[in-house]
Amino acid sequence: MRSFRAYFKKEFKEAARNYKYLILAVGFIFWALLDPLMLKLLPLILKASLPVELLSQFTNINRDYAFLNLLKDLFQVGTLFFVFSLMGIISSEVSKKKLVLPYSRGLKPEGMVLAKYIHYAITVSIFIFAAFLTNYFYVKSLFNSGVLSIQIVLWSCFLYILYFAVILALLLYMSSLFKKSIIPGLLVLAIVYGFNFFNQLSLIRNYLPNYLILRAADLGVFFDTSLIPTFFISVFLIAIFIFLTIIRMKKIDVA
Amino acid sequence: MIKVADLKKSYQRLEVLKGISFDVKKGSVFGFIGKNGAGKTTTMNILTGLLRFESGQILINGMDFLKNKIELLKSIGYLPENPVFYEYMNAYEYLNFIGEITGLKTKKLNFDILHLLKVVNLKIQAKRRISGYSRGMKQRLALAAAIIHEPDILFLDEPASALDPEGRLEMLALLEELKRRGKTIFLSTHILNDAERVCDEVCIIEEGRILLDEKLSDLYDKYIQPVFDIEFEKELTVETEILNKLSWVESIKACGKIINLSVNNIKIGRAEILKVLSGLDNYVTSFQIRKSSLEDIFINITNQGRKVK
Repeated sequence: MRSFRAYFKKEFKEAARNYKYLILAVGFIFWALLDPLMLKLLPLILKASLPVELLSQFTNINRDYAFLNLLKDLFQVGTLFFVFSLMGIISSEVSKKKLVLPYSRGLKPEGMVLAKYIHYAITVSIFIFAAFLTNYFYVKSLFNSGVLSIQIVLWSCFLYILYFAVILALLLYMSSLFKKSIIPGLLVLAIVYGFNFFNQLSLIRNYLPNYLILRAADLGVFFDTSLIPTFFISVFLIAIFIFLTIIRMKKIDVA
Repeated sequence: MIKVADLKKSYQRLEVLKGISFDVKKGSVFGFIGKNGAGKTTTMNILTGLLRFESGQILINGMDFLKNKIELLKSIGYLPENPVFYEYMNAYEYLNFIGEITGLKTKKLNFDILHLLKVVNLKIQAKRRISGYSRGMKQRLALAAAIIHEPDILFLDEPASALDPEGRLEMLALLEELKRRGKTIFLSTHILNDAERVCDEVCIIEEGRILLDEKLSDLYDKYIQPVFDIEFEKELTVETEILNKLSWVESIKACGKIINLSVNNIKIGRAEILKVLSGLDNYVTSFQIRKSSLEDIFINITNQGRKVK
């Protein structure tokens, strides 16, 4: 527990002082602010240069389209911010020998790994939640029509939080395997984007976490039985990746 | 206190420790000496639980280190050669972080940290970020982190290597103070003057093998040179002739008021020389047995590659 407490405080200080909160905030909340504004302003900006028939596509945007735009950006760009800012979560500590003094003082790896995971899971959850609410506020103010409601936004937000919680666990494990931070970063991105392909295969897609992303964009449809295996597998993956990271950190030579 | 038996460690195919064995007595300062790459830091990292090893046994306070690692680490403090910190923290925050991992109580910890910062001369810079510290300051901070929990055993890897002459003297004084308080200190250093000053026992390691492990006093006796350097008050007259007649005198070099006298038996020479000199008309102003420094002994032993142990 003392290792957990010490590392939780340390992660908080590190994220605040090394601008990780700022980077993550930009990666999530920035799109929530920018997307609706851009969608609203784009027709005005392009008015002079686009033919009328093309321009009508931009003027007929409703709330649902604007919200789906955020979901797309969070998956495509938000993931990049998330992975690149946290890819050294363990690898950089090992490679730079920052763990030598804590390990020599009897640091318990399980405390450290859990502190890192829980801290960033909470952080990302807050940012995603803030992004979704901000976006909903703007979309509601700037656009008309569509089925979008606060319940739909919160449901999609929950699915995204769960998805990013899986990615974080995967990133944590990958980061414990390599000393160069870029390798786990690229591997996780390959898995994240690569696995999105399986969303086209209806037979297996609900057994993979990427199905959460697909369902988050299914506005107006809430929980159904197809999500049960997705939930179970997502939680199982989080647990197994954290467990493997702890095992790895117990056996690793930190000096 | 620490017993290491037949310890072996390899990095891939490179065998860095080839079955080393030694004992460190409680309350002693054990100097671990060797050239770069000899295996000093690897040994220290193993003894502080940071590296695994292939075979051998480590006993600390009679307990198997592998089986009781977490328990034993509570009584161990480690100062690495190049300590790395979370540089966005300040010294106070880092010591607080280490103290919390160690399990020290918050109220006592605050008091201990302030005291420690004073001891390692970092009180003024306590609230400054570590990223702005010099190497010497970082080394002093690492020492504070190593002794924050009052460990019985201290592993110090080149503790004075980054310090200026004043800082080095302060470090040595601190080591002497820790020794006085009964701490067992395992000191790796290549500054042999420092080892000579504070160590009770030295162990020389070369290419993963222990070449020598002896008490410093025994070592001096063993490697003492059978030469007496004698300076007289007046110019030499008959002194050389008198001394040359003695059976235990091997040879004499005389120059001005000084005689360098080699003997064939150091024990007899030590016992007899003063008696003979006191009977001369020329007073002795200076007299000393020529001693080998630890540096001489180290070079001698490593060059010979002699296996004493």
